[in-house]
Amino acid sequence: MNGRLLRMSYLVASVGGVGFFALSVLVLGVWPGRTLEDQTRRMSPDHPLGLSLSEQRGRVIYGRDGCAYCHTQQVRYVGADVSRFGAPTLAWETRFDYPQLWGTRRIGPDLSREGAVRSADWQLSHLYSPRSLVADSVMPAFPSLFEGAPDRPTQEGRDLLAYLETLGRARELAGPEGEARARAASGGMPEMMSPVLNASPAKARRQGDHPALAAVRDPGRGAEVYRQNCAGCHGVRGEGDGAGAQGLHPRPANLAEHEYTLDRLGFALWNGVAGTAMPAWRDLPPADLSAVAGVVRAFYAERREPAIPAAVIELGARVYAAHCAQCHGEKGAGDGSAVGELRVVPTNFVTQRPSLAASLAALRNGIDGTPMAPWGGKLSEAELSAVAYFVRGFYNP
Amino acid sequence: MDVTARPLAPSVETGLVRAHGLAAILMLFGALTFGVLASTELLVPDLAGGSVWLSWGRLRYDHTQGIMLGWLANAFFAFLYHAVPVLTGRPVTSLRLGQWLFGLWNFAVVLPGWVLVLAGFSQPLEWAEFPLVVDAFVVLSLMLAIVQFLPPFFSRGLEDLYVSSWYVIGGLVFTLLAYPMGNFVPELVPGARGAAFSGLWIHDAIGLYVTPLALAIIYFVIPAATRRPIFSHFLSMLGFWLLFFVYPLNGTHHYIFSVIPMSAQKGAIAASTILGVDVVLVVTNLLLSLRGAGIFPRDPALRFVGTSAVFYLIVSIQGSVQAQMAVNQAIHFSDWVIGHSHLAMLGFATFAAAGGLIHIWQRIPQARYNPTALNWAYWLLFAGVVVMVTDLSAAGLVEARLWGSAAPWIESVRAAAPFWMIRTLSFVPIAAGFITLLVGLVTGDRGAGLLAVEHSIGLEPVEAIAPRLAAASAAEAS
Repeated sequence: MNGRLLRMSYLVASVGGVGFFALSVLVLGVWPGRTLEDQTRRMSPDHPLGLSLSEQRGRVIYGRDGCAYCHTQQVRYVGADVSRFGAPTLAWETRFDYPQLWGTRRIGPDLSREGAVRSADWQLSHLYSPRSLVADSVMPAFPSLFEGAPDRPTQEGRDLLAYLETLGRARELAGPEGEARARAASGGMPEMMSPVLNASPAKARRQGDHPALAAVRDPGRGAEVYRQNCAGCHGVRGEGDGAGAQGLHPRPANLAEHEYTLDRLGFALWNGVAGTAMPAWRDLPPADLSAVAGVVRAFYAERREPAIPAAVIELGARVYAAHCAQCHGEKGAGDGSAVGELRVVPTNFVTQRPSLAASLAALRNGIDGTPMAPWGGKLSEAELSAVAYFVRGFYNP
Repeated sequence: MDVTARPLAPSVETGLVRAHGLAAILMLFGALTFGVLASTELLVPDLAGGSVWLSWGRLRYDHTQGIMLGWLANAFFAFLYHAVPVLTGRPVTSLRLGQWLFGLWNFAVVLPGWVLVLAGFSQPLEWAEFPLVVDAFVVLSLMLAIVQFLPPFFSRGLEDLYVSSWYVIGGLVFTLLAYPMGNFVPELVPGARGAAFSGLWIHDAIGLYVTPLALAIIYFVIPAATRRPIFSHFLSMLGFWLLFFVYPLNGTHHYIFSVIPMSAQKGAIAASTILGVDVVLVVTNLLLSLRGAGIFPRDPALRFVGTSAVFYLIVSIQGSVQAQMAVNQAIHFSDWVIGHSHLAMLGFATFAAAGGLIHIWQRIPQARYNPTALNWAYWLLFAGVVVMVTDLSAAGLVEARLWGSAAPWIESVRAAAPFWMIRTLSFVPIAAGFITLLVGLVTGDRGAGLLAVEHSIGLEPVEAIAPRLAAASAAEAS
């Protein structure tokens, strides 16, 4: 009797145990899945962009090499996440992810909106040699995705880059309409629908005024900030020859050959430089930005300026008006009529003065990776030097 | 039921016990090597010199899969070859089947899995990194394991099954059910929906595979080594059923504050809280059963499983607390969680597996046994676990603090560096502990283990028992 009772109770418990397992699959797997499917249907734009073949191959590489084990692709509904990475990840954004790449560990930052945060040459250089760009990074280098140089990716390297550039793309492209639709359908959780899709400070967005930097001299802190964040590309002496410069087009600015106003540095540090690998540095405190600006300005050594005959200035002005003003602007402020069509904004000579040598070199050879064309064969030597002298006169510290 | 009252079953396949036991420790060295290399690469990121085979991600995959499937599974199998005949009085299904299972598990699952991951064939799914082709062999092997180990329980009748038997049956059956959830479903169900299933498996891997088999060992070794019945069979069974009811419902607590419906998240948080209470019941029962044996019993097997139970208590309470939203918000994604998982796998599970291994080794006639080395193994591993888990928990708090501030991301990487250094150094006592564990099982006098059991002498020096050993051998020879 007792044995039978026991047997019955074990039978009931065993069935119950399997039942609870089935229940867990139902309530934590199947049912949330249906809710998420429904949410995806309501919030998704009608035709969200999927992945191309190259992007899909890149995704496989991303999975294969464990990228998701240091970089999540899931912004949580948490203030710290949203302020750092932007709007929380919606279900529809992951609808093509077989298998999911959410991740449960962040050694590096979340990448769900990484697309278009950095330039392509920055991404490739970083994959090729992370520490040449980010001094204290612990990311593995992936030279096997390249043929010996950061600007020579293999097919796999190009695929991975293509995939990285898709991250967050569908949501960006869905635009305000997509956000409005998601907001309307979000029902229970509107409080965290951040208006900022991508909060990455590295993404150059012209929003908010750059802070006025102070002309401080804090060489210790400035040198530390410069070493950690800048030296990789701009080089330890600011000559634009850091290890990370190798694969960047255009090359990083040669800080030793340019004089900058504080305002110019503040703008570049705050917004990055569009069309180049220079990211925005809004996540650094303003005091650090001021300190590093002091370091940058110290790279330019004053040198003796030769006296310039009036005739040369006059020739320079004529050549400048004929050939340079369309882009660099009549008053040298980088605001010529053609600016809107250029991928990289022309140099503003009012806030930034090249050395004579740098000015001549740029005129002769152009600047690789920018619309600045070489004028070496087109202008005479006298004209080249005249205009090189002339543009330096715009500077107004 | 008193396990020790039964004479040692003559049907224990000692060959398979030895084979799985040694395979377990050898694979442990493999998994340990992957882990140490990965942790060193966080200090010296260019250590691998750009070799993609040794890049951090692939090493990380092989480390956790190696611990779970190479070390723990082999140690569990070794234990089952001893425990199932002892618990049921019947032999396992077939020696031949056992040889196949051994071959499949080691040469079709773990070794090819490791190589394939290094070669770039894997799944980016936590605790499921081996590629699908290897997963197929895992499922096949799990089915064979059920055929091998469960029939003796059923042919004997379920009336007076000891709690270890329940854990063995539950562990094997539910592992087979849960494994496809994390390994196959996310390949078919995309994104957030797939993540819901991944979450289930991440927890089921520990809750329905590692925990039941580790608890089976602890429940087995304590009465066998102390020669006293467990404190309360009622608490044992209550703990068992609560565990199997509540564990699977924890999964979503890995994705709190995600887009997965809040009601599922809250359900998982509630289940996590109940689970902590259940573990308090289980461990109370275990520790009360250890009364009188001391905090550090002399028998190394008993000492390992006793400490395992304490680690289990700590890690489970930690788990309940971590699932609470206010805590989770801060420590999720940080090194705190890595500390937590090491406390579970290296503290709780590894200590149980090592204790089980030592216990069954003592009972293999003519097996070598070196209690001094095992004593060293215990203390080295204990020190290693404590240093590593404390260090990673502190690192996680620092990271969480920086992530919540306005500091640039890279600050958290810089701040973690000294903690990562200590974590890597904790490899020294841990590796030394595993080496001495192996030494303890392959050196020493033949049959010293059995003699230690018969005389309940634990750590008494071998010289003192040599005359008795000689007498026993003489008696056996005649």
